Amino acid sequence: MPRRIIAALVLALACGALAFAATDTVVAKTTTTTPAPAANKIWSALVVATNSANPKPAPLELREFEKRMNRVFGYNQFELVGSNTQEIGEQGENWLVPSKSFWLGLKARRALSKEAQGGYLLSLQLFQDKRPLVDSEVKLAPGSPLFIRGPQYGKGQLIIVLQVQR
Amino acid sequence: MKPFEEQFTAWVDGKLTGAELAEFEKQLAEHPEAAAEKGDAQRLGQFLRSHPTTPKLTNPDFFNHQLMQRIAAETPRIAEKTGHSFWSLPRLLWAGAFSMVIAFALFRTTIPTVAPVVSDSKYFAQVVEAWPSDPSISATTVYSAENNVTVVWLDGLDYIPATYALN
Repeated sequence: MPRRIIAALVLALACGALAFAATDTVVAKTTTTTPAPAANKIWSALVVATNSANPKPAPLELREFEKRMNRVFGYNQFELVGSNTQEIGEQGENWLVPSKSFWLGLKARRALSKEAQGGYLLSLQLFQDKRPLVDSEVKLAPGSPLFIRGPQYGKGQLIIVLQVQR
Repeated sequence: MKPFEEQFTAWVDGKLTGAELAEFEKQLAEHPEAAAEKGDAQRLGQFLRSHPTTPKLTNPDFFNHQLMQRIAAETPRIAEKTGHSFWSLPRLLWAGAFSMVIAFALFRTTIPTVAPVVSDSKYFAQVVEAWPSDPSISATTVYSAENNVTVVWLDGLDYIPATYALN
């Protein structure tokens, strides 16, 4: 058998082995990186943001958002009016009621896109008392909060915070 | 010693002299038919010299150039006929090695090597769509990648006095 044919066969075998190894690695990665669906929760809060000469420290629940809200909304004091945590169910509608005045209707399903990183596609409806203010479709993932800038309240601003929690 | 034919040609042309001529004439005595051809040969030589058959080249350099080009054009065809393939063994090995390098580079660049870690994620919430329920309300989405935050900015909402009980 000519040397050229032997070399071609060796080359084909090497390429085949490489392709097999790559496929095997992808399968292994897919298997190991796909977590079992966990029962996540969604946390909602109603916050009053104001400016004060002597701002009070934010409550513990708002500490992780305080600096970001300060940068985004320009207020230096944040008070928690109320909060509510619900398990995210993919069946039916859930209700988030951080306060009796502001509450949200919620329908959720898991986001399938890779970049959503285990997040949810949410259909949200924000109510002020019984009046619907806005409907929205939102993709949320853990560690990535959504703020809704609500109406002016006194000398400050109402902010609704939503965050997926594991 | 020169062969007879060569000496004969020189004799016909009158170029033999001295001892060489005497020696040749001795040999010629043994070939009387050759002596008889001298006249015919001299006439033929005279005729050929006076009527050259080769055309005179008007531009010999151009002719040479054309000739060389033609030779050069025909040279690869001769090489092809020898039966050598482009895929010689060293070239085949180099191509294989190059393919392996490309395959490895693609493998390293297109397939993630580290599983995404959610806590270090730069993902931020996305608002696909927002529909205000009232025409007087407007909803704007603001993304702040720097703060990893997404804001639905509602304008046109009614002012709420501080005396209003939110709880």
